[in-house]
Amino acid sequence: MTDIQQTVYVVEDDEAVRDSLELLLKSDEKQVQTYEDAATFLADYSEEMAGCIVLDIRMPGMDGMELQKKLNEKNSILPIIFVTGHGDVPMAVDAMKEGAVDFIQKPYREEALLEKIEIALEQDLEQRRTLDEKQEIIRRVESLTPREHEIMDRMIEGQANKVIAIELEISQRTVEIHRSRVMHKMGTHSLAHLVRMVLSVKDLIDAR
Amino acid sequence: MTEAENEHPEVTVLLVDDNPQNLKVLYETLKDKGYRLLIANDGEKALDLAHRHQPEVILLDIMMPEMDGYEVCERLKADPETADSAVVFLSALDDLEAKVKGFALGGADYISKPFQSQEVIARVKTHARVIRLERELQAQNRELQSDQARILNSISEGIYGLDENGIIEFANPAAGVIMRSSVEDLIGRNFFETHFSTAAECPDGLPVHATCCQGVAENQRDIRLLRADQTGFPAEYRATPKLEGEDLRGAVVVFRDITAELENEQALEEARELVREQRDQLAHTSRLTTMGEMAAGVAHEVNQPLTAITNYTRVSKRMMSAEHPNLNLLQETLDKIEAQSHRASEIIRRIRRFMKKPATGKDVLSVAALLEDTRQFAEVDARNNDGSIELLIPEDVPDIVADPIQVQQVALNLIRNALEASREIGSDLPVEVSATRAGEGFVRIAVRDYGPGLAEDAGENLFLPFYTTKEEGMGIGLPTCRSLIQAQGGEIGFERPEGGGACFFFTLPVADAPAAPSSEPSSAGAV
Repeated sequence: MTDIQQTVYVVEDDEAVRDSLELLLKSDEKQVQTYEDAATFLADYSEEMAGCIVLDIRMPGMDGMELQKKLNEKNSILPIIFVTGHGDVPMAVDAMKEGAVDFIQKPYREEALLEKIEIALEQDLEQRRTLDEKQEIIRRVESLTPREHEIMDRMIEGQANKVIAIELEISQRTVEIHRSRVMHKMGTHSLAHLVRMVLSVKDLIDAR
Repeated sequence: MTEAENEHPEVTVLLVDDNPQNLKVLYETLKDKGYRLLIANDGEKALDLAHRHQPEVILLDIMMPEMDGYEVCERLKADPETADSAVVFLSALDDLEAKVKGFALGGADYISKPFQSQEVIARVKTHARVIRLERELQAQNRELQSDQARILNSISEGIYGLDENGIIEFANPAAGVIMRSSVEDLIGRNFFETHFSTAAECPDGLPVHATCCQGVAENQRDIRLLRADQTGFPAEYRATPKLEGEDLRGAVVVFRDITAELENEQALEEARELVREQRDQLAHTSRLTTMGEMAAGVAHEVNQPLTAITNYTRVSKRMMSAEHPNLNLLQETLDKIEAQSHRASEIIRRIRRFMKKPATGKDVLSVAALLEDTRQFAEVDARNNDGSIELLIPEDVPDIVADPIQVQQVALNLIRNALEASREIGSDLPVEVSATRAGEGFVRIAVRDYGPGLAEDAGENLFLPFYTTKEEGMGIGLPTCRSLIQAQGGEIGFERPEGGGACFFFTLPVADAPAAPSSEPSSAGAV
């Protein structure tokens, strides 16, 4: 797997906070991109964006919560760290329910923020890796012929070669050939691994 | 005197002659002409009858024994009761000297004997009418004079008539009462010497002096006058020049003791002061409440620069830990820290000023600066309420005179209400704060929102204490605003603008306006 270029996206209406955060993160060797409001970020958003969002919960115009909803609609997996003010904890809890990774209250200790950002970036990386793996599995599944797919489904259900041969009215030898092709195409030698792989993408395949 | 009574109502004619024959002839001549006829055959009787009945006309024989007609006439004229009767002498004497003497003694006319009845009737008729008219005129005059006297007597203000030297020629009873002296004692005295201890030194500057000597009308309040017993009292007076054509003949002075009035004013002023204090306290409480409501926003507002400072500080430290620190960049970052700390202290300063206890007092204020400051303050709320504020202030709006804190309090209150109203219906349109010149001497500041507007029945109730349309409202915001604006000499009100929403406005006096009528009582008028 190639290195993913991760960026910290800062969405903050207050110029001084935005500027200081940008300097702070850059001094911490982070790639930073800043936005002065939610709408600008939304317009700029693409699936290729990797990293995390540091998002002010209170902003004029579209606020942080709204942006989170819009991003969820776009199936964004970018982790969000909400920056909240005094008394915004109830909002932050709602934000967490909507999938935010964390929140931090202003004024914060910068170590705490940096720590949360590290965790978020790690999580993003993890998610992306998993997502890549799943996509690889799906790609492999999709390379199977219909007959191979059918045989694989029965393998996963635990049917013996003999049973498969009888039910499909083919020779046991033919089943064995299909089976070895499935294992080869899916890149595994173990039936248990095959089962795990296919189950991990089941919901994605069903969704299609 | 029966049927002819109407012709000469109650005209009495006295006939005086020692000769019964003559009396009879006169009587016969004048009877049935509508007169009341009295008869006397000597001087004493004539005087007695005349005194008791005051006849209009007396036909008086000159040649009588004991008291002749001249003497009777003289005595009639000496008696005020009979002085105005028309005396017509009757005599056979037909010489000039007798006639002249008769006229000299006050006689009105002369009839020669033997008399013609037509002449007697005509002369009596003429004199009766003249006397009648004269008496009516006198009666009217007397009535008029007594009316004037009654008025002068019943007026509770003292009235002096002064001559051009300040000598009191006339004083009404009230003047005596006020000066604790009799009217008689006052008359003839010098007004200035009597009522001012400093009259001897410099009479020129004294009240009324200019009226007496130069004919300038005066009007002063709260001057000190001396009474006859040398005690003093505060007085108010008006002095009007007394003119005869072009000539100055002194002055008329109307004055009154205002001791009680001043005491009432003092009490009123104390009450006003109390109201002022309570209003200021209420205003202060209201400001505290507002700040309480805005606390979350304020905390957010202060946290922004603090957060920035924390970040910049961390950055600076990292820069310094580098092997070759970039000093320029470090300097730049430290400058940013400084700017942010100013920003935080500016917010604190604004809040502290707003919370200050007694308001600072009136000042000349720039409307634009004041409203811009208020807008920044209100934006604490605007951010929380997801609204925005737009200022529309033309450059030619003049400065105003007002208490800056209290005006800001009112503007902030109206803006916050407007933001709340806009939020209620999720309006994206900004709250508009505008200032315009309103008529002579006033600036009108209006706060317009595009919220749900005011209920039909809201009306003047909006400004009544404890009336509220908000669930959590106390109903003291707008009443406080009204009392504050009224204290500045302005007015507050609302409109239902076309295009929806609500508009609240208030006016404040312009700084360079001609002296606005003050609520404070003026101590002394111009001399």
